[in-house]
Amino acid sequence: MSYVIAEPCIDQQDQSCVAVCPVDCISADPASDRKFYIDPAGCIDCGSCETACPNQAIFRADQLPQEWAGFALVDATWFRDPARARRAVDELLPAA
Amino acid sequence: MTRIALGPAVVQHVRPAGARGAAGAGTSAAFVPNATLVRRLDLSPSVARFVVRRDGSVATHLAGQYFALGIWADGRLLQRPYSTASPPTGASQLEFLIRRVPHGALTPRLWDLPLGARLRVGPPKGLLTLDPRLDRAALFVATGTGLAPIIAMLAALLDGPADARPPRLIVVHGVSYTAELAYRGRLERWAASHPGVAYEPVISRPADPLNAGWSGAVGHLDVALDAAWQRHRLDPRETVAYLCGNPEVIAAATRLLAARGVSPDAIVAERYWTTPIMGPSALDRAS
Repeated sequence: MSYVIAEPCIDQQDQSCVAVCPVDCISADPASDRKFYIDPAGCIDCGSCETACPNQAIFRADQLPQEWAGFALVDATWFRDPARARRAVDELLPAA
Repeated sequence: MTRIALGPAVVQHVRPAGARGAAGAGTSAAFVPNATLVRRLDLSPSVARFVVRRDGSVATHLAGQYFALGIWADGRLLQRPYSTASPPTGASQLEFLIRRVPHGALTPRLWDLPLGARLRVGPPKGLLTLDPRLDRAALFVATGTGLAPIIAMLAALLDGPADARPPRLIVVHGVSYTAELAYRGRLERWAASHPGVAYEPVISRPADPLNAGWSGAVGHLDVALDAAWQRHRLDPRETVAYLCGNPEVIAAATRLLAARGVSPDAIVAERYWTTPIMGPSALDRAS
């Protein structure tokens, strides 16, 4: 189980989750990314990020709203193939 | 009390793509050791004090904060956060009070580490820190290894000037076994040598043979807390409570303190693991 960052994070650039993650498993490249990503291999399910997020963008994977279910794969993908994850984000919510 | 850390310090944790030694785009967190295990003191088969020495310059922490300890296991960086018992003196050594969880992911491996083993220590984090209202009495309540951050806070306060510390420092520490009354000697010395410091250990399993000879307080921590509250005649408007450890005990203590009139902004709590009842809102340091 892991936490996942969903659509409400996109283009918000809030970093509260990064600050509170005890194991530093939330990352993004500020020059290229429109959201932050949680590494499912590093997440310890503490929920600190969910509490800290002012945009209510973070959910336990098993509690992810159906319309944002694809973000679990997006987050996991970013840590292997960031370009692919970014394309997926653009498809899920095209840039304005 | 919920404290959310915001501000410029956040930026340093955002890593550019390809950053080495930490997770960047396209890679999970790497294992870049930056500390050495230098000492382990076993209090019981399942509780020990670990001392690590960090390499080079060290990050400054606040008394009460925690660090992620990480090792390389099963092809990945395996980390869990632990509060340090060390006050922020700038020393390279950090001490941690850790409970071994038999089927946990990390702690059985920690117990297997020889002295000299290399680890990764993350940056300091955590919001269980001293309240600036130092003119109020400080009531510290801990279960088990939740005492660690309280030791750091007490050491920081007692090492500082007497006029910059709360008028009373009261520690209520609950454990199952007397052997797990970590830092008992230090706390007893502090209580004996500093007016206003009180140490109130309580054992929850007095009938267990391992606790033979114990003549101190027994029972549940919340009952001991209530007794301490009355004995010390604490004023809810002039007290800040620090709670750390078992989430169910923290919940009970919070209810008790609220009933005694302590306002939510005067209760600082850190839960060491989550429970299904509470939901995923706390640190999980059980493994």
